[in-house]
Amino acid sequence: MSERRIGVYICYCGGNISDYVDCERVRDEVAGEDGVVIAKTTMFACSDAAQQEIIDDINTRELDAIVVASCSPTLHLQTFRGVAERAGLNPYQYVQVNLREQCSWAHTDLPVLATDKAVGMTRAGIAKAWYTEPLEKTRIDTVPRALVVGAGITGLRAALALSDLGISAFVIEQEERVGGWVGGFGKMYPHDRIGNELIAQLVREIDARDNITVYTSAELVGKSGSIGDFSVTLAVAGERISLSVGAIIVATGFDVYQPAAGEHGYGSDRVLTLPEFKELLDDSEGPLEHHGRLVRSITYIYCVGDRCEDNGHTYCSRYCCNAVMHASLVAHERSPSVHQYHLYRDIRTYGKYETLFQQARQRGSVFIKFDASEPPRVDLDNGSCRVTVKDILTEGKELALDTDLVVLVTAMEPRDNRALNDVLKLPVGLDGFFLEIHPKLRPVETVIDGVFIAGTAQAPRNSAESVASALAATAKSAALLKKGYVELEPLIATVDPDLCIWCDECVSACLYGSIEKVRFQDKEVAEVNQAICKGSGACVPACPEGAIQLRGSTDQQIRAMIEALGSINV
Amino acid sequence: MAASQVDMEFAEAVTTSDEFNAWACLNCGICSAVCPLAIDLMPRKLFRYAILGLKDEVLEETDTIFQCLLCKLCEENCTSNVHIVENVRFLRSYIGDEVFGLDTGRGREEHHAAAHR
Repeated sequence: MSERRIGVYICYCGGNISDYVDCERVRDEVAGEDGVVIAKTTMFACSDAAQQEIIDDINTRELDAIVVASCSPTLHLQTFRGVAERAGLNPYQYVQVNLREQCSWAHTDLPVLATDKAVGMTRAGIAKAWYTEPLEKTRIDTVPRALVVGAGITGLRAALALSDLGISAFVIEQEERVGGWVGGFGKMYPHDRIGNELIAQLVREIDARDNITVYTSAELVGKSGSIGDFSVTLAVAGERISLSVGAIIVATGFDVYQPAAGEHGYGSDRVLTLPEFKELLDDSEGPLEHHGRLVRSITYIYCVGDRCEDNGHTYCSRYCCNAVMHASLVAHERSPSVHQYHLYRDIRTYGKYETLFQQARQRGSVFIKFDASEPPRVDLDNGSCRVTVKDILTEGKELALDTDLVVLVTAMEPRDNRALNDVLKLPVGLDGFFLEIHPKLRPVETVIDGVFIAGTAQAPRNSAESVASALAATAKSAALLKKGYVELEPLIATVDPDLCIWCDECVSACLYGSIEKVRFQDKEVAEVNQAICKGSGACVPACPEGAIQLRGSTDQQIRAMIEALGSINV
Repeated sequence: MAASQVDMEFAEAVTTSDEFNAWACLNCGICSAVCPLAIDLMPRKLFRYAILGLKDEVLEETDTIFQCLLCKLCEENCTSNVHIVENVRFLRSYIGDEVFGLDTGRGREEHHAAAHR
C-alpha cells in the first residue's frame, strides 16, 4: 500500500475518558504515526458539530481512513460509519477504538498508565486503518413467498397473515389433515371457544385466498440458497416439489408426554392423560361417564413428565395448570356433584387465567399440595382406585382418596424433529425445543437468517401465545421480504483458491454451514457462501494452509495491531 | 400411621351450603394468631378437615368447636373474607343434629338460613 491519509479523533466523552486519560498526550503521541495527516481531540465526537467537523476534514484533507478513539463500537460504530458515508468515504474504512470501556473506566486509579495504554490502543487502531480496504455490502433480491412448516393453529394463522401482507404462503403438514392439536379439541380455555371450530374458520379463510397453497402428507426434504432466496424441496405424497421462497417459518408444534405403563397407574382404564380426559369431555354430553359408569370423583395429578431432572424436562409446560382448571370447570358444569381433587406441586394460572383457579376452588375443587420427593401413589385393586398423598396443610397427614378417575396432567414435549432439522440445521436447546437468538429482543429469529420459529416448536405455550408468536414471525418475514432485497455485511471470510487444498477443516469449524465445495481450475476448493457467512472467523485458524482471511480483520491487520500495541513501554 | 380416609359424602354434607366458603382460605394462619382463646385448631385446620372430608378429625374436635366464643376477631382479620363464624355455627348445628341427635327440627339448609337472619 502506498501512502495513506488517516484522520484520528480522540474523544473526551465529556470527561468519561479525559478525567483519567490525558487525551492531549494521546493526540501528540499518535500524530506522528505513519499515514496520520490529522489528529485532534474533541469533547463529544458523536455530537452533530464534531461529526460535521470530521466530514469537513475528510473532504478538505482528502482522508482515506478515519479512526475515532471513543466508546464501545456497540454504541457508535454505525454512527461513525454513517459519518464516513456522508463524506463519501467507504464506511468500512472507519476504525473505532474503545477507550472508554476498555481503558478509562477500567483504570480510573491509574491515569498515567491509562494514558500509555490509550496511546497503544489508538496506535493499534491506526495500524488497522492503514490496511482497510473499501468493501461493499452484498445485495440479494428477495422472493415474495414464504414456506410455513406445520399446519396447526400457529402455522395456519401465520399463512393467513402472510397472505394479508401480499406474501404468498406455502403451508406443509406432515399429517393427512391440517389443524394439529387444536383441530382435535372441543372447548378451550379461557372462553370456551371450540378448538375444531377455530381451525375450521381458519381453513375457510385460507380456502378463499389465491396466494396460499396447503400441502398435506408433506415434508421438507431439501433446502439450499440463503436468506431472501431459498430453494426448498418438498416430498408430497411421494412426489417431489421444488419451490423458491424468501423466508421459512417453522411451526411444527409439540408432543404430549406419554407416561410409562404403571407410572401413576397408567395403563389402567381408570387412569387417563389430560388429552385423553379432554377427549372424554369433548366426545360426550350430559353427566360425565367413563366406560358406562357415572364419574363421581376425579383426582388430578399435576406435573407428570415435566419439572423433573430424570428425563431432561426441567421446564414447566405452562399451558397445563390453566387447561386442567378449565377441564375441571367443564366437568363440574356437566356433573355438579362430582368431587374433584387437584394434587399439585405449584399452581401457575398466571395473568388473566387466575380467575380459572378461583372458579375451580369456588365450585368445590379441593387443592392438595404435594412435595416432588413424595409424589402421590396410585393403587389399583379389583377395579377400585385409591390415591394416597401427603397433605402439606394438615402437617403432612396422609390422605387416602378412593376415586373413580385419575387424570395425569401430562407435560408438553418437543417433537422429534431430527429429519426436518437435518435439512434446516436450527439450534436446539437442552430441553429439545428450537432456540431463538434472544428471548426478549429477537424472540422469533434463529441463527439461520431468514428462518423463523413460532408456537410450541420453540417452547411450551398455549394457543393464544402460539398465535402471537406466529404473527411475530410473520411480521419479521414481511419486514425482510417486503423491502425487496437484503443487504449483507461484507465482513465475512474469503478463501484464496490458490492456497486451498480442500481438506475439509473449515467445513467442520463453521457453525452456519456456509462453506461449499467448488471446482477451481483442476482442483476442488472451499468457497464461502456470502449470504450465509456471519463473519465469526471460526474457519480462519482451522485452515492449515492459511488460505482463509476474514475481511475487516485480516491476518495483516491483526499483526499490525499487535505490533502497534507492543510499541508502548508499560 | 394409617392414611386418613377422605369421606366425600361427609365433605359434601358439611361444605355444600351457599355460605360455606372455606375454599377461599389461604391457610395464612392469621385466624389462629388473633384467637383470644388461642385455639390453634380454629378455624384454619378445622376447615381443611371439613373440605377434605376427614370426619373423624372433625368430630374429635367437637369440644373445641363448642369452645369458640364466636367473637369474630378471626373473621375481621381474615384476608380471604372467609365467613368463619357462620361456618362454625353451621358445623355446630351439624354436630348437634348428627352426633348428639338433638333433632332441632330444622333441616340443614333451614338451620343455616336461620343463622344468617
